[in-house]
Amino acid sequence: MKGERELKNKRRLSWIIVVALLSAIMLTGCSYSKPSSGTSNSSSSKESSSKKDEIKVGLDVDAGTMDPRLSSDTSSKRVSELAYDGLIRLSDNLEAEPSLATKWDNPNPTTWIFTLRKNVNFQDGTPFTAEDVKYTFDTLLDPNLKAPSAILYEPIKSVDVVNKYQVKFTLKQPYAALLSYLDIGIVPKHIGEKNDKSLANHPIGTGPYKLVKWSKNNKIAFEANPKYWGGAPKTKKITYYIIPDNTTRVASLESGDVDLVHSPVSPQDISRIKQNDKLKVVETQGLGFTYLNFNVKNKILSEVKIRQALSNLVNKDVISSKIYKGMDKPGKSPLIPASWAYTDNVPTFDYDVKRAKALFKEAGWQDSDGDGVLDQNGKKLKFTLSTHSEDPNRVQTVEYLQNEFTKAGIETKVTTNEWPTFSASLTEGKFDIALVGWLNLVDPDRAMYNQFHTDGGGNYGKYSNRQVDVLLEKGRTALSQAERIKVYQKAASIVTEEAPYDVLLYQGYIAMYNKNLIGFKPYPSGSFYRLKDAEIAE
Amino acid sequence: MATYIIKRLFQFIPVLLGISILVFFLLHLIPGDPALTLLGQDASKEDLARLRNVLGLNEPLWIQLFVFLKNLLQGDLGNSIFQDVPVLNLIFDHLPATLELALLSLIIALIISIPLGILSAVKQFSWLDYSSMFFAQLGISMPVFWMGLLLIIGFSVNLNVLPSFGRGDPIFEATIDTIQTGNLYFIIDSFKHLLLPAFTLGLMSAALITRMVRSAMLEVLKEDYVRTAEAKGVKGYIIILKHVFRNALIPVVTIVGLQFGNLLGGAIVTETVFGWPGIGRLVITAISQRDFPVVQGCVLIIALLFALINLVVDILYAIINPKIQHV
Repeated sequence: MKGERELKNKRRLSWIIVVALLSAIMLTGCSYSKPSSGTSNSSSSKESSSKKDEIKVGLDVDAGTMDPRLSSDTSSKRVSELAYDGLIRLSDNLEAEPSLATKWDNPNPTTWIFTLRKNVNFQDGTPFTAEDVKYTFDTLLDPNLKAPSAILYEPIKSVDVVNKYQVKFTLKQPYAALLSYLDIGIVPKHIGEKNDKSLANHPIGTGPYKLVKWSKNNKIAFEANPKYWGGAPKTKKITYYIIPDNTTRVASLESGDVDLVHSPVSPQDISRIKQNDKLKVVETQGLGFTYLNFNVKNKILSEVKIRQALSNLVNKDVISSKIYKGMDKPGKSPLIPASWAYTDNVPTFDYDVKRAKALFKEAGWQDSDGDGVLDQNGKKLKFTLSTHSEDPNRVQTVEYLQNEFTKAGIETKVTTNEWPTFSASLTEGKFDIALVGWLNLVDPDRAMYNQFHTDGGGNYGKYSNRQVDVLLEKGRTALSQAERIKVYQKAASIVTEEAPYDVLLYQGYIAMYNKNLIGFKPYPSGSFYRLKDAEIAE
Repeated sequence: MATYIIKRLFQFIPVLLGISILVFFLLHLIPGDPALTLLGQDASKEDLARLRNVLGLNEPLWIQLFVFLKNLLQGDLGNSIFQDVPVLNLIFDHLPATLELALLSLIIALIISIPLGILSAVKQFSWLDYSSMFFAQLGISMPVFWMGLLLIIGFSVNLNVLPSFGRGDPIFEATIDTIQTGNLYFIIDSFKHLLLPAFTLGLMSAALITRMVRSAMLEVLKEDYVRTAEAKGVKGYIIILKHVFRNALIPVVTIVGLQFGNLLGGAIVTETVFGWPGIGRLVITAISQRDFPVVQGCVLIIALLFALINLVVDILYAIINPKIQHV
């Protein structure tokens, strides 16, 4: 009896609580309406009823930092470009255009003088001057900052302030590629000097948008900088949402949760989105290539004929059209189509199994015991093909190549490891043939010096050719673009012929967006800077 | 009871210490180097060496371990190599999202599994039993990422009723906003974001718990006292809820506790599919960057939570069954 009464009391109590809560909600006059944007200028949302005041972008990886000097990942670079301006900006064909610098002179091969834009303020209202430029590059070169891109600026001897609106770069030796790298964001000296690392989370640049809120791994909210020197941005807010899964990201575009997504995307999603009449797919040449790296330290692979024969076994058209669904195009040489130095005129290795077999035979490898595997002095021809497991297209490509190589009589093993493991073995030279890529090749120097120079840090396969070294050094020091083009095309021709690399694909850059997004044109680099001129029609 | 709890809390220390040391060695055993991931593919050898030195990676392993443990005892989990902020801050940023998700998943799991488990035990071998067991099998075997994508395609892309990704305002903040402004938008929006990932995550637990409830119930149903109660003419639903279910709760509570622990530490796939900014995402990114301090810190916190949940489960035993006494 007692228990039953207790139970009843309990029940009654819970009912009272529920009713009290409900009536509390009613009494407070609960409503349901989407609040207008929480920013200060929310009142203006009514006046422009023909367009939305926010562009939502789906991003694959969160930015690592908002300090342009410290960025090592593409997200950091792309996102922070809204908040910062560099001295120059790279055009669609990777030529320098004025940004914070209005003009530049090159009185002698080791001196560059930049004239800066006047009446430009940082987002906190402090004027931008030559001191900020000097500070940015001085700290960038200071080992204590641990700047990942410091190596690109290493030939700079000093940066000096000539006057408030002029800076002088003095170089250790002529360095033609420098201009291409000067798009790095200029940070304010007065904040940087506090040394409190605040710029990493609270960017203050001269750029068109300023950061409002960054909720890590979730979203990054920017608000227009109405006083931007290049004119106020068209849309009030830009919000990046971090959606790591490629399929979810594209689904979010389809559901209208975001307005714009971009590479990396899964190739199979592209054709589906193309058929969606509300969405638009823009494919441009990217700034990277995917290649097979032959390790020249491997005794067998040190022979040119073997590398050429292997290149003849690679059907780039199939890889491009079947695995990448045309997203990345068949490659030829390390000079990418987006570059001003690009040429079609380099030796090519077509898919030609007969020729490959002939080359193997010339090199002394043939199937003498009839087991289907080529051999020489009783030793079988075998290689390990490796890549990293994060990119399913690359994994599929090595599996496809394994099949092709095996058919041609090479015992082929495939290993795929996650990136840190794979890249460690790559830099230590512990591989036979690796499938990997290079990104952000804004200058031919960036695509070739490090990769093919005997002392290059990215020359994992230890390729060495004196003639190529001389050409690449000349490419760095020659100052006229015409001369550089000649030098790089010659070097590209040699390395393609000798095949330390087989450039499989030129990477494409895909942007998919809502057709209502007007005025947006992607850059090959994936920079979002032009979002400042974009708007979404209702 | 109080002494028991204090005793158990002290037992955490060797467990957590053991886990920290194990994770430390495992991390240093796998190939890959934070300096290389930080500086990128074309870094020079000198820069790499300098950075390794700054990060203390050139020190012998036992010195690194000593430094780590010394800082740990002072409550310092170190700084993230990549983001250069204290690991504790990162954990505090990401943990609430995971807790929110895990809690709602568990609630969803319980709402589905307990009635289903009870019903299928009571109506054993009926169509209801078969279909709930079919559901359980499906829930256990369906990969989480696939389930998640199906839900996104269904509810976000086609029906357009729920957001496809991300977290709204934190539930706590959203509740306060709603109370302050009287606008239900905040709390509903927050829930809308939670619903799909929580359902995806909860469904698998629901499947497991359903099976556990069913089998525990079946066992108790065979007990003599159930027959006695029936003979005494006690109403059916009272027998089921008071006599059978309560006695079947012990194994169920164990599995619920374990599931909750799993939800906290094992939501990595769900968090990735739905872009949920939780601790799973934090730890997986940190592993792929070899950000040692972050991985160590996250594992330690997850282990601590797991141990706490186990403690709560043990305390619950005593509440459910007063015959169990902790000394």
